[in-house]
Amino acid sequence: MIQLKSVSKVYRVGPVKVTALDGVSLEIEKGEFTVLAGPSGSGKTTLLRLLYRDEVPTEGEIRVAGFDVTGMRRSRIPHLRRAVGVVFQDAKLLPARNVYDNVAFVLRVLGTPRREITPRVMQTLKAVGISARAQALPAQLSQGEQQRAALARALIKEPALLLADEPTGNLDEAMAEEILYLLSDIWNRGTTILLATHRATLANQLKRRTLVLDGGRLLKDEA
Amino acid sequence: MLFFLVGEALRDLRRGGRVAVSAVLLITLSLTALGAFWVLSLNLGRALVQWRDRFRVVVYLREEPPAGQVEGLLKKIEGVGGIQRLRYVSKGQALQALRRQIGGQASVVAELPANPLPASVEVTPAGEAMTPEGTRALIQRLSALAEVEEVQGGTAWVEWLAQLQGLLQAIGLSLGAVLALAAILTATTATTLVLHARREEMEIMRLVGASEMVIRLPLLLQGLIQGFVGAAMAVGGLYGAYRLALPTLEPLLSFTLGLPRAAFFAPAEIAVLVGGGGLLGALGGLMAKGERPA
Repeated sequence: MIQLKSVSKVYRVGPVKVTALDGVSLEIEKGEFTVLAGPSGSGKTTLLRLLYRDEVPTEGEIRVAGFDVTGMRRSRIPHLRRAVGVVFQDAKLLPARNVYDNVAFVLRVLGTPRREITPRVMQTLKAVGISARAQALPAQLSQGEQQRAALARALIKEPALLLADEPTGNLDEAMAEEILYLLSDIWNRGTTILLATHRATLANQLKRRTLVLDGGRLLKDEA
Repeated sequence: MLFFLVGEALRDLRRGGRVAVSAVLLITLSLTALGAFWVLSLNLGRALVQWRDRFRVVVYLREEPPAGQVEGLLKKIEGVGGIQRLRYVSKGQALQALRRQIGGQASVVAELPANPLPASVEVTPAGEAMTPEGTRALIQRLSALAEVEEVQGGTAWVEWLAQLQGLLQAIGLSLGAVLALAAILTATTATTLVLHARREEMEIMRLVGASEMVIRLPLLLQGLIQGFVGAAMAVGGLYGAYRLALPTLEPLLSFTLGLPRAAFFAPAEIAVLVGGGGLLGALGGLMAKGERPA
């Protein structure tokens, strides 16, 4: 599902070079649930952004869900992103649209027939446990509910791969556990998951394969 | 998908607020100015066609030819070239025409000791001789004939009318172009504001795999809607002004230009104006600058 070969990412700020990733190689199989752990600034977010082609690597090769991400033409990026779902620490919900519309928005922009939209949205909202709040605006939701809505938005297009960038970062322990439980449930239905977190306890608690990044280098790959 | 795109475009228009309204008004203004000059030019053009059609060169003869020689004389005149058709007017026919023209004072003609009017030939120049130079050359050739006393006729004022029409078109196009540029820039500003307001939405759209076309199309549609609304308002305004001015305008046109009625745009010309409006708006939408993905 994911292959990285000697991937480096260097940001240039004027004369200063900042190495975010340094020669990272890894492979994640289809159907795996992998945790990407490491302290803040270790390169986790950069790695995820490379995977959905929000950034281009300075060196190395990346393949995701059958796409050659490194040499990808701009016109092919939407195809990659339809196969990859992404959730962030801040849910990034559209504030003027309610939960239903935030999720339906994805299907509308992807040209899904209108008659299919409502059943699929309601089914997905139910799957993440937020169907009762479908008409609520993001501001009326708790942090945990917002993250569930964001998960629903990422899952509505049935991606083969889900990238979760600190989805529990803004949540208390109880809410974080709920989201992790939900992610496990999604994984059980066949979606490959790569979860980035800086919480070492969370990574241990999941008992999944864990990739540890520090200073842009892959330090450990623990099954 | 179409419902979604149009819905997004309408939502963007509402977001554009006063700037979007300004863009519509500027498009209306530019097309009204352009349209007003176009209507004037259209009517002048009709007058020109009519007057060119009526234009004659009159060849006055030294002596009235005997009836048997009229045919030969007409052939000789036709032989100088540049003539579309000609008509012989005898002294008697000229006098009758004078009687008709002066109407109530026709008795004055009866008191004349003899018919003082010369026989003449009315010459309609061919198309190529309809210019001032062509007419001058034709008059010169006709004056050179031995039977001809004097030749009258000229296209100076017809040409003046043509120049006026050209001037009106130039003023209309220049004014329309300046206003159209302003309209495009305003539509661009309105769309750019919308782009900023839509930043989060566009980020999500790109994230979930929407194509750039789906992302940009609502902006183009927004411009198109602004353009079409502006053009429809311009055409409506022009038609209202035309209907209001018609009672005053028609006698004036009839008196000065000989046009029985003032014309408005044909459906095809209205389509051009409305299409032009749509194009202005769409250009504004396309030229808007927003954030591009990495």
